[in-house]
Amino acid sequence: MPVEYLTLPYLTTGLVCLLGGVMSSWRSGQPRKPAVMAAALAFVSFLGAAREVIAVGHGHLVDPLLPCFDADGLDAVPMAFYAALTLMVVVVAPRRDAGGRAMAGMLIISLATQIAYAAAGWTTLLSGWWLSCLPFVFGMFGVQHSNKLAIGLLIASCVALTASVAVMHAETFGNFSPGGELTFGLLVLAVMCRKGVFPLHSGVVQAFEKGALLPVVLLFNGHLGVLLVAHSEAAVLPQSAKHAFDILSVLAVVSAFLISIRAFAETKPRRLLAFLYVSQASFILAGIAAANIAGITGSLVHWLALSAASTGLICIVRVLEVRVSSAENPMVHLGLAVKAPRLATFFLICGLALIGLPGTLSYCGEELIFHGTLANHPAVGITLLVTSAFNAINLIRLYGILFLGVLPKHVIDIPDALPRERWPLTACVVFLILGGLFPGTIIGWRAETVQAIEKALGVAAVSMPQR
Amino acid sequence: MSLQHLIPLLIATPGVLFLMLGTLWLLGGQVSERAISRMSKATHAFLVVVVVLIAWAMWRGNMVSMNVSLGDWFTVAEYGFPLSLLIDKLSLPLVGTTVVLAGIVGSFSVRYLHRDPGFFRFFLLLHLFTFGALLVFTAGSLDLLVVGWEIVGITSVLLIGFFQYRPDPVRNALRVFATYRVADLFMLTAVFLSHHWFGTASWAGMFSGDWPGSTYKFDGAAATVIAVLLAFAASGKSSQGPFCGWLPRAMEGPTPSSAVFYGAISVHAGAYLLLRVEPLLHHSVIATSLVIFIGLTTAFLGTLIHRTSADAKTSLAYAAQTQIGLIFAEIGFGWTTLAVIHLVGHAMLRTLQFLRAPSMLWDYHRVHAAAGGKLSPTGSYYESLLPSAVQIWLYRWALGRGFYDSIVERWVMAPVLTLARWLAIFEPRFPRRQPEAEPSTKVVETPVS
Repeated sequence: MPVEYLTLPYLTTGLVCLLGGVMSSWRSGQPRKPAVMAAALAFVSFLGAAREVIAVGHGHLVDPLLPCFDADGLDAVPMAFYAALTLMVVVVAPRRDAGGRAMAGMLIISLATQIAYAAAGWTTLLSGWWLSCLPFVFGMFGVQHSNKLAIGLLIASCVALTASVAVMHAETFGNFSPGGELTFGLLVLAVMCRKGVFPLHSGVVQAFEKGALLPVVLLFNGHLGVLLVAHSEAAVLPQSAKHAFDILSVLAVVSAFLISIRAFAETKPRRLLAFLYVSQASFILAGIAAANIAGITGSLVHWLALSAASTGLICIVRVLEVRVSSAENPMVHLGLAVKAPRLATFFLICGLALIGLPGTLSYCGEELIFHGTLANHPAVGITLLVTSAFNAINLIRLYGILFLGVLPKHVIDIPDALPRERWPLTACVVFLILGGLFPGTIIGWRAETVQAIEKALGVAAVSMPQR
Repeated sequence: MSLQHLIPLLIATPGVLFLMLGTLWLLGGQVSERAISRMSKATHAFLVVVVVLIAWAMWRGNMVSMNVSLGDWFTVAEYGFPLSLLIDKLSLPLVGTTVVLAGIVGSFSVRYLHRDPGFFRFFLLLHLFTFGALLVFTAGSLDLLVVGWEIVGITSVLLIGFFQYRPDPVRNALRVFATYRVADLFMLTAVFLSHHWFGTASWAGMFSGDWPGSTYKFDGAAATVIAVLLAFAASGKSSQGPFCGWLPRAMEGPTPSSAVFYGAISVHAGAYLLLRVEPLLHHSVIATSLVIFIGLTTAFLGTLIHRTSADAKTSLAYAAQTQIGLIFAEIGFGWTTLAVIHLVGHAMLRTLQFLRAPSMLWDYHRVHAAAGGKLSPTGSYYESLLPSAVQIWLYRWALGRGFYDSIVERWVMAPVLTLARWLAIFEPRFPRRQPEAEPSTKVVETPVS
């Protein structure tokens, strides 16, 4: 099959822009400007790549300068989308989070995630996976003694993936060879550590609670775990892989359900947000594992919706913490809607979009996931429905804690959404609502990948041998 | 303009107004009270004209129902989300009631909420609610009905928490939302199972013929399961049966929203759903019996509690619950025309009562004075025929509101919270180097930007 190339080196350009942004913002006195510039240029580059991939409609388009990078239906759209999220985060970041090292750290995470997306092989993906964890390991967002569990689990995910790739390269295995089972077992472990699948969710929760919130959102909204699973599924892996991913899907459903229950006992906004995030993110894995077109499409759509909504929510929580320090651990309801009604509204819309209010993009995603899972396992579909209801209740609890109730006496005057915050948040909300009103376009972007994954899974199922 | 255009126009108008006003405000724009009130009045007047035109066109064309298909919202493989709207003998009265009552409440609220900080928010939510309610009553499928159903639910909750600077509305809004979500689970499960088992959730796919003479196409236990699920979903929206505790909590919202939601439209959405799926209900003895049982028991409970309630709005809430219970029973018995008349009449009367509630004392004194002195007592009640011990027991039971809240807290919320706390064992906590500082209560004012 002849290799097809992108017409321009979009991927290289995007990655170089991000690298340039890292270097120029690190020592800069005004790091936000170069960071925003780099993120914007990277967004334009990745958008170009995505447009080209969608226009071609099939296969991989290799970067003409660096052939170890390519763009395909699975990762081209998330690449452009993730670049937009990076731009949003660096624009919204409060001044205290926008120091040189912090900005550079955020751009490194973005660069690493884009490398993982654009990777044409396992080794490149692995390097992106490792690189995305390094800013946390090296304390680029401040020394975080109390964040050891989160960092430990991140490193564990890297080690597990490295081992898996090493075994994969070392031997060729059949459908149920021990090497195959080990490889995909390790792969599943890597995904579990990275995505915070139950019972390893405490790492993500701690990262949200103790870590720097904005870099954390960039780290987890890359959804590299899902990318790994989707890539593996699309690659027509042996039957042992399918079994490993079946186990992962069960764990994802259990994770979504139990974490949504766990959140009822939580009152700290950051932890509550973390539980919501992990629970909703587990829907993506559950949908992909449904192995039918509805489930996989729902997952790939929910991926985008979840990323946009959670980024909006986390940005708002962070800007509130900067304004009112007691927002980190409020003893009572904070009642901030009186002083910051626009932030409250943005929060509510993003939150409702996160849990699948009709008219938002995630409604479409969740609807398809429910249909997909219900078609395979009715119990799974109903469990996800219950989870969605619990998450909605927790979201309104979180909204109540932050924005409703009696305004504490010490909060005299805080600004509402600043223009720098208002425009990116409006863009986020518009994406979520327009995406929800006209989801056909976004489904169309993902259609080719869905077909590829579904076909690959179908082939795997047909070729299942007798043990 | 044909019906094919008028019906979507009717639904879309309040939605578009909501989106326009909302986006303008989010981007920093301000809209004056006068502009909002004029826009709202103009919109509602326009909606009334559109409804009249639709009714006129249907009457002239001798049409029993009108189905407008707008294609699929989205399609994936063999699954499509149908965007179809239906106007028939059931939906037209409810659409008319919605438009008229929302207009009246909007007009009333212009003065009632004058200079209230939440004036803009109220009207924004009122338009969103109108959009959601119209969608519920005109949806051509369960899928689309769910969309309107959830929009009505969320606007309802946001209006209960309208006075967000007081703790009680916030607490009650959360409780109502939780009840809604649990009840909506039944609805969503019914929708998905309907697709799963029958491959459709549209009225045209499920029923043949026009309402009220339509018949159900499918058979068997699956149909019973879906009917029971829908009966519970309807109970949740209409505060009946196991979900009967939320309606008095919803009275925390401003009076106009109580009128339009809990007197008039939202609370009747459950009854509408039962009327719409009435052929499915009557296909199953279990579902029919369930609806009658839920309706009658709630009516009994409601009328008892209504008599012991000390404040006007709570009393009205229980009175509304009682009447809706009776409407449920009427639907269960198959008296659909009576149920529709009862529903529309009740919505109108209850709206009037709610809107007059703030001036109830003033009204009483006026009537009292007009009667030339003391008003005659209202007479004895039927419960006085009961033995006094039973009367006292019923009084205590009603005063405790059937101990509903205690039951829910003890048998539903407490076990869930216990499980939630127990799940914390999967989150190891390492010993800290230093004791954690108390959360600061100082405001950091400068480094915002």
